[in-house]
Amino acid sequence: MLEQILCIDDDPITLMLCKKVISKSSFSHEIITAQNGEEALHHFNTLKYTNDKNKRKPELIFLDLNMPIMGGWEFLDHFTSSAYNEFNSAPVIVLSSTIDPEDLEKAKKYPIIIDFLSKPITQQMLEYLKKKIDF
Amino acid sequence: MKSKTLQITLIYTIITIIMAVICHQLLTTYFSLSQYPTLSLLKDISFILITGLIFSFILAKNEKKNITIFEKLNKTNEEIKESNEKYDIVAKATSDTIWDWKIQEDSINWNKGIESVFGYNPQEVGKTSKWWFDKIHPEDSIRMSIKLYSFIEQKTQNWQDQYRFRCADGTYKYVLDRGFLLKDEKGRAIRMIGAIQDITKQKEEEQRLKLLETVITQSKDSILITEANSPDGKIPKIVYVNPAFSQMSGYQSNEIIGKSANIFKGPKSDSEELKKLLKAIKNEEECLIETITYTKNKEEYWVRFSMIPIFNNEEVITHWISIQRDITDEKKLETEKEHLIRELTQNNKDLKQFSYITSHNLRAPLSNLIGLLNLTEDIPIENEELQEILTGFTKSTHLLNETINDLVKVIIIKDNPSMQKEEVSLKEVFENVFSQLSFQIELHKPIIKLKFDKLPQLVTNKAYIESILLNLLTNSIKYKSENRKLKIAITAEQVDNKAIVTFKDNGIGIDLERNRDKVFGLYQRFHNYPDSKGLGLYLVKSQVETMGGTIAIESEVNKGTIFTITFKN
Repeated sequence: MLEQILCIDDDPITLMLCKKVISKSSFSHEIITAQNGEEALHHFNTLKYTNDKNKRKPELIFLDLNMPIMGGWEFLDHFTSSAYNEFNSAPVIVLSSTIDPEDLEKAKKYPIIIDFLSKPITQQMLEYLKKKIDF
Repeated sequence: MKSKTLQITLIYTIITIIMAVICHQLLTTYFSLSQYPTLSLLKDISFILITGLIFSFILAKNEKKNITIFEKLNKTNEEIKESNEKYDIVAKATSDTIWDWKIQEDSINWNKGIESVFGYNPQEVGKTSKWWFDKIHPEDSIRMSIKLYSFIEQKTQNWQDQYRFRCADGTYKYVLDRGFLLKDEKGRAIRMIGAIQDITKQKEEEQRLKLLETVITQSKDSILITEANSPDGKIPKIVYVNPAFSQMSGYQSNEIIGKSANIFKGPKSDSEELKKLLKAIKNEEECLIETITYTKNKEEYWVRFSMIPIFNNEEVITHWISIQRDITDEKKLETEKEHLIRELTQNNKDLKQFSYITSHNLRAPLSNLIGLLNLTEDIPIENEELQEILTGFTKSTHLLNETINDLVKVIIIKDNPSMQKEEVSLKEVFENVFSQLSFQIELHKPIIKLKFDKLPQLVTNKAYIESILLNLLTNSIKYKSENRKLKIAITAEQVDNKAIVTFKDNGIGIDLERNRDKVFGLYQRFHNYPDSKGLGLYLVKSQVETMGGTIAIESEVNKGTIFTITFKN
């Protein structure tokens, strides 16, 4: 079981579903959320400068693509830069409702994205991910 | 000669007789008989001497004359011989057919040419002028003979005419006949010698050129011929323009010949294209340009302009031929087309984006609904009414989800007409399809016959073929007859280079007489079934066509349906 995962999505119902489904399965102890890319980056920035010895780093990120203020792609461009080296070893799973083939093509260019899944999040999806990430 | 000899002999005889008579008279009158024999002897001797002298004088004179005549004759003979030899040489050397016509006797002689050129055997060749005239083409013979006889009447020396002369094989040759008339001292035409030249090739070439010229004069394209070079490096001077050119440019040929083709240049002419043209002229290469050019009245028009260099046998350029086509309308259409394509492309892009956004915006809340309904499954609900409502909710949501997923598939197919192909095992495809439909198969237990042994492998797109077969199988189950057990037979075989997959069921069928045009259409439903979306067959057809195949349907109401899918394999 993972220690902590991060869900980034502007839709509160998606976040609520994530929390509920993940907490029902033995996937992660803790789920933290962000409503867009900027909020997620802010979380990492805060984490970087905190002195808390027990600070937890997200081990997996569920990322939506279409979000206001800062979308998924922009977030990834920042997150994969050296400024976030401390955190960007965590794999990213895109969780979106998009059908645009261009998004799928774009995702292939980011090695950090290990999967591209269609909403909604389900128990089966988590089982599949467990096998894939192997924990 | 004879008369002269007779004359001399006669005069001599008369003189000698007179002399003999006079001498006899004188002797008998003045001398005695005793003196007579001596005197007679003297007289005879002197007579013989005188005649001998006269003879020697005449003979000497004659001999002189004879030598001169003989020499003259000899010379003439030599000349005739030489002339005959020359004639023989010329007659042999020339390819012409030579004839010699003695007009008064009407006898005509032909040289070897009549055999070698016209193919007649020596025994076939007639000896009169009739034979000659008979061989002349009926359309030419009257004109030719009138011309010939009027020439003979006029008694000028040289005659020539063109006509068609029949060969031994019945074909005609165009000939040029030139004759020379000989007259006697009284000026009567007695003989004519002529030479017939075979000009069939020239004539045919002439006719061919005439035909080609017609192409140039009748052409709707402008044709312009210029000199080979221009001293100032500009476009060379024009030597010929066809009528189409005058019509296109407004310049009459007499106004334009001798001028440089540069006059068509104007403010809107494409200078890059003109540079290309000048470069081609410099390099003596063919070239094709498109530019705006100007008529005499300074009206602009678009022209497609080609320049072709013409070389002589020594590979030296002699002329340029330019063919020009007015492409103003074509250019206008092209611009309109480009504009339309741009507009359509933009519209298409906008629509595509719109469909992506719409489907995303539909899918996002729908996925939430499904997620939320999934959550309720784990919560025990005691209120039966609520349970019923939730079941309906779940069913509707899943149907909505399926519809949207199908629509998304359609959008993706339409957006990506090309797709990857791989070698696919039909057995594996069916295993996947059956596992997806395991619930329905378990429920209705159809009898399914598969026959793939003739075509176990198919080069195609795996996802598409799976989707196609899934849709067809779902349809068969959905539209099965309530009166009999569902039977499905699926076969695959290879015919030539085509793979044919046949899908047959004994379901309720479709009334094709009413619906043939609509079967594969979008949102077409033929049965009043609550979960029929009118998308399945549209999707199947789209996928088959994307893979370069075709699909055909045969169906009879209450008997069943057969789908035949054909792919290039």
